Amino acid sequence: MQSSVNWALLGLIIERPSYAYALAQRFERTYGDALSLSSVSHAYAALGTLKDRGLIEELPGTRTGRQPKPHYRATARGLEDYHAWLIGQVAEERKRQKVFLLQLTALTRDPEQAMKIVEDYEQACLGETCTTLIATGDEDAPDGALALQARLIAEEKRLAVGAKIAWARYARSELKALANGRAGGLAGERAPNQ
Amino acid sequence: MSLLELRHVCKRRSCGGRKVVVLDDATLRIDAGELVAVWGLRGSGRTTLLRLAAGIDAPDSGTVLFAGRDLLKHGEEILGREIGYCQKSFRAGAGRAAIDEVIVGLLVKGAAPAEARARAREALERVGGERVGARRISELDSGERVRLAIAHALSLQPRLLVIDEPVAGVDLRERDEVLLLLRSLADEGVAILMTVGDLTGLSGADQSLTIGDGELCGSPRRGLEPVADLSLRRQASV
Repeated sequence: MQSSVNWALLGLIIERPSYAYALAQRFERTYGDALSLSSVSHAYAALGTLKDRGLIEELPGTRTGRQPKPHYRATARGLEDYHAWLIGQVAEERKRQKVFLLQLTALTRDPEQAMKIVEDYEQACLGETCTTLIATGDEDAPDGALALQARLIAEEKRLAVGAKIAWARYARSELKALANGRAGGLAGERAPNQ
Repeated sequence: MSLLELRHVCKRRSCGGRKVVVLDDATLRIDAGELVAVWGLRGSGRTTLLRLAAGIDAPDSGTVLFAGRDLLKHGEEILGREIGYCQKSFRAGAGRAAIDEVIVGLLVKGAAPAEARARAREALERVGGERVGARRISELDSGERVRLAIAHALSLQPRLLVIDEPVAGVDLRERDEVLLLLRSLADEGVAILMTVGDLTGLSGADQSLTIGDGELCGSPRRGLEPVADLSLRRQASV
């Protein structure tokens, strides 16, 4: 299952069993602009997929009344697959970063140009640090889980952006050395003609 | 007019008999109420930048202006009054009560003893260090020492607070409290220039900068300038 929306929906069900409409609303609240459902019917379709794959099941006794709202809960397999998918994201993230680096190294024939891009990349990362607010909150408060979630997200962002800035610094020094080496080489080549 | 402005500042220092460029054509502007954080490796020139910004050291070339006044000419009257430079080491007074450290600083500046005591207490309260005041400096942990250092500088009611690595050696939870304290001081109108040795310390700053190889590079000033208009980046010489 490739759909991030499906996995995100499964995560919400693991967090708390619920019915389709309520899940769609929680989805919007939780993921905001990071991940979006095209419509509420998207949630219904995703739930159908999760159910067909045996990752969720209906809670007995919730399909009652004139407007039945079947609630869903995760199965043991759903929990297990969700765990495996989360860990798999580490490799996915690495792949995305590798693609970026391969695209960047296409410019190393022109180190000045590459250096300019890395500078802008570093600057964009520094801009990200400015928008990373320091999360506060007491996990003993009624919304303690949310406060903890905010702190975990903020800290991960701080560390991830920090690592990118440190990498950009390193890349710039490498590219600078490459550019200087080429300039030195060219000067050396020109010297006999001067 | 910015509160603090570095214009094309260059600074070299001696290292093993040769001159090393610490800052090369660095430009920086800080307005009242801005929190500016600078990250760099050890030896990158972080502290040199702070000392130049506080008027403790003079640039080899370029200008450092505080509220339009050249720090080279007016540094003595500005430092310790309008600029507070946080000192985290209290070696001389390690055995005395923490509040005394703040009081002595005020007495030196000419405050009356009663006023000095009241202002010291107020500054400690502001940094969440009420319980720190009565304890000996030697008994304080890293986070408490930072709060004391900030209280010491704040007691002089500066417009700019300069602080070197406020969260170095401070545990993670305390780190965020110190950063939030500095953020809140900036929100009250005090400009803050600080260095961080750990990139996570850049969070929540209005300007995040890096320093290394003589270069000072920075983020866009929050809500003020688009990326392309940055004044912090080195000029065409890069």
